[in-house]
Parts: sequence; structure tokens; C-alpha cells
Amino acid sequence: MSYTERIEADALVVGSGIAGLQAALDLADQGYSVAIVEKAPSIGGKMISLSKVFPTLDCASCITTPRMASVSHHPRIRTLTYSTVDAIKREGGTFTAAVTRKPRYIDEKECISCKRCEEVCPVYLPDEYEQGLGAKKTISIPFTNAIPQLPVMHPEHCIRCGACARTCPKDCIEFLQEPAPVEIKAKAVILATGYETTPMTAKKQYGLGELPNVISPMAAERLLAPHGPYGRVLRPSDGKVPGSIAYVQCAGSRDKSIGVPYCSRVCCMYAIKQAILLSGSLPVADITIYYMDIRAFGKGYEQFYNNARAMGINFVKAKVARVTEDADHNPVVRIERQEGTSAPEEVKHDLVVLAQGLVPGCDVSKFGLGAGLNDFGFVQLSDETVSSAVTAGAGVFAAGVVKGPRDIPDSVMDAGSAAMEAASYIRKL
Amino acid sequence: MADAKKLAEQLKKLNELRGPVPQALRDQVAAQNKAQKAILDALKGGPKTAPELAAAAGLPADKALWYLVGLRKYGKIADVAGRGDYPKYELKAGEAK
Repeated sequence: MSYTERIEADALVVGSGIAGLQAALDLADQGYSVAIVEKAPSIGGKMISLSKVFPTLDCASCITTPRMASVSHHPRIRTLTYSTVDAIKREGGTFTAAVTRKPRYIDEKECISCKRCEEVCPVYLPDEYEQGLGAKKTISIPFTNAIPQLPVMHPEHCIRCGACARTCPKDCIEFLQEPAPVEIKAKAVILATGYETTPMTAKKQYGLGELPNVISPMAAERLLAPHGPYGRVLRPSDGKVPGSIAYVQCAGSRDKSIGVPYCSRVCCMYAIKQAILLSGSLPVADITIYYMDIRAFGKGYEQFYNNARAMGINFVKAKVARVTEDADHNPVVRIERQEGTSAPEEVKHDLVVLAQGLVPGCDVSKFGLGAGLNDFGFVQLSDETVSSAVTAGAGVFAAGVVKGPRDIPDSVMDAGSAAMEAASYIRKL
Repeated sequence: MADAKKLAEQLKKLNELRGPVPQALRDQVAAQNKAQKAILDALKGGPKTAPELAAAAGLPADKALWYLVGLRKYGKIADVAGRGDYPKYELKAGEAK
């Protein structure tokens, strides 16, 4: 068994999406020491892979990257990436977290991020950061602005040719590296484990993820990102510039048949945002949003929606019954309009985006910290009218989507609240 | 640069621990190399679209596009400026030989 690294901090933050980053920064800037544990190889969460944010259309990475850099350089923040929290135990006023650092198969202290290993590696893999649309190598740095800029090797895809080790100028490839245990002691825990989306395979009616031109909204984000997989908006089946794009709203929310009866709160707005961005990238494309209701509830959201309508984006109030495809992989959407004619009709598009719903990213009840969950697996607050961060577990606070679907401004605000509550709790110990 | 003897020892130990490289992975890499070579060879004749490259390489169009974007990411091929439903790709300078 390898040596157990021990870390002591005032607060442990689980997750480093925008909520986790903000909570950690707010605590550290008040003088508290923070340890962040992130399961992915880079901090930044989902937000770092978005193209822009609504309703301002600010560049998402321009907002996230400075926070990522601040966290990684902060003297009072210790960040463990590519690490999992296996268990958290409470003893008196102290939490002890058992963490496993997964092996990257490199010497992290010696690596100079030169990417030579990635250049020479001969094996290409689907790149999950690009939602499988792009390729990466068996050893690769997760994405351009990842922090830390360290490669990860996937041994199950390694053909053991040794090319990476032969080219590494610092001799830091370690094929035999093993998981390393870490123990973190903290006085408070902030849960910021975020969300996952309902799977593309959730609904048989929408193609079970097997239609190449029916994509997820995260894939659409990557298509719109300046450094996306194709460098422009193309459809995945054949690299065609799509002339007709449709959004199927509530494709993973407000649907009891898949166990997600609630509204995911962000789908209307990200669909409108993507539609606006697409109309900028593809000025002659027809863009249609099939919706049940448009929920534009935040500051400036209604104006954003009205702007989209004024730009010529076609909003059709209709529930999509099913999505199929023709022989050329053009998605065919069967709808019944809820306004005007009520006869079902089939409409052909080049590309369809399914607005997936948001589900909890992690079952935090496994930690047994006393933080209750609601019926859908999100963290239940002890009293929402009193605090937006305090859970039923003493010293356990929640930030961001771990409490339920919410947008980026709300997640950032929540994170500030969680940091304040945690600071107040630690001070009283 | 890794010491050749040390690297050989590491790889030998890795083979002992994990067994040989699975045949499925070897086949996948062989298919990848063949597809990429076919795409690069087809581009020696001038810029082509993804469906044209798929036809030339005998691949499904989605698979050809995936290999194409991988080669593009790692600097073997580049976009050709222009309009049309299907963008064209070309070999990057120095990749033609």
C-alpha cells in the first residue's frame, strides 16, 4: 500500500465547477484554508466547456478561466484533480475524507506540459470533452485551457509502444503508477457536485442516441465553441453545414416516464442562446425551437427571448412525439402543434438538438453526512426560507446544482452563500 | 528521454501485470492507421469534402469525419476557406510527402 498523503484544511469543497470554484475562492479570500477535490482531470466543471452564457452572450471560458487560475494559484487553496472522495467520516467537529488520486501515469511534479507525449502517441480515442465529436490520444492533456496542464494516460487504450516515454524530455512517464490515497481533515464540507444530463438513450421515441444528427446540447455547445471539434458548425453524420436546425425542448424534463417530472430551469434559455449563436454562425439556416412553455424567468431573460424571436428564430409550440431519420440521416421530427392546425405533421431538419434535463451529478447521501435528499436525489436544504446553503448535516453546506437545477448566476450566488455559512460555522467551532 | 533499458523493464512488468495488449485494441489501431492513411492519400490529389474522402477511403461518412477532425486537430490537415454545403480539407504544408 502506498504512503497516505495527509492534508488539513478549514473546509473541504467537493467539486470544482463554477459553484465549487466560487465557494473555495470566497472562503480562501476570507483567510480560511480550503481543499478542493475534483473527479475530472481539470477543474472548471461543465461551465468551462460551454461556448457562451445567457443572456449576456459573454464567453464562458473568459468567466471561468480567471476563477480557475485564481484557485490554482491561491496560497490557501489545495486542489486535488482526477481524484475521488470515497468516504467522509465525522468525528466531533472534524470531517475526515478518504480520497483516491487516480493515476495519470506521469510524474506530475516533473511534467512541463510540453505535449510531446500526446503528439507522438499513435492511438486516437473519442474525446469526451468534445462529447465524442472530436478525437484525442491515449495520453493527452484534457483540453487547451485545462488546469492543471497535465496529461492523462488511459491504460486500457495503450498499446505499450513506449513512444511517449521515449520522447518525454523530463522522463516522467510512469507506466506502473498506482492510485494514491489521500486523507483530508476539514471542519466544514461544501458539496458542489453539480449535475449530469439525462442520457441521450433515455427515450426510445427520440432515437436512443443512435441517430448521428440528433445531438446533445453539450455537443451543440462544443460545435459553437471557437476551438470546437470541427472549428465550425457541421453535422456529425457527414460534415455538412446544417441548413435547418431544430431544438426539441423538454426532451429530458417534465417527463414522468423517465423519472424527471420537474423543469430543469435552464433548457429554454440555453436553447435560445444556442439558436442566437447559430443564427450568427449560419446566417441562412432555419432554426426552430419546439417548446411546451418558454420559461424566461431571470433578469434580462424575457428580452433575450424576444430578441431571438425578432432575429427570426422560429418558435413552435408543439410537443415532439418522436424523432426518426431518413436514408440520408436527416432527422425527421413528428409534431403536433398546440396552436393553429392540430393535425400531426412530420418536419425534416439537418440537425436536431435534444434539450436534456438535469439530474444530480453524485449521490451525496453515500457520504452519510446527514444532508437529506429530495425525491429526485438533489440535496434538501434544512430551511430554504432561512438559508440557501445550510443542510440538515451540521457543518455540511451545498452550493450550485447539487440542490436542484439552476443557472450560472444562481449557482455563483449560492456558492457565495455556502462560503459565508461555512465561514460562520467554522468561526463558532 | 527515458533510458531504453528502464523503459523495456517497465513495459515488461506492465505486460506481466495486465497481460498482453488485447487483440481488439490492436485491430482498432490497425483500422485507424489504414483509414488515416487512406484519407491522407486521397488528399494528395487536392482538397476534398468529408463525403468525398469517405468514398475515397471506403469508410462511412461519420467515421471519415471523425478521423478527419482527429488529423486536423493534430496538424496533419487544414480547412480550405470557401462556401458550400460541405467544407473542403487539404493537406497541411509538409504532409504531402
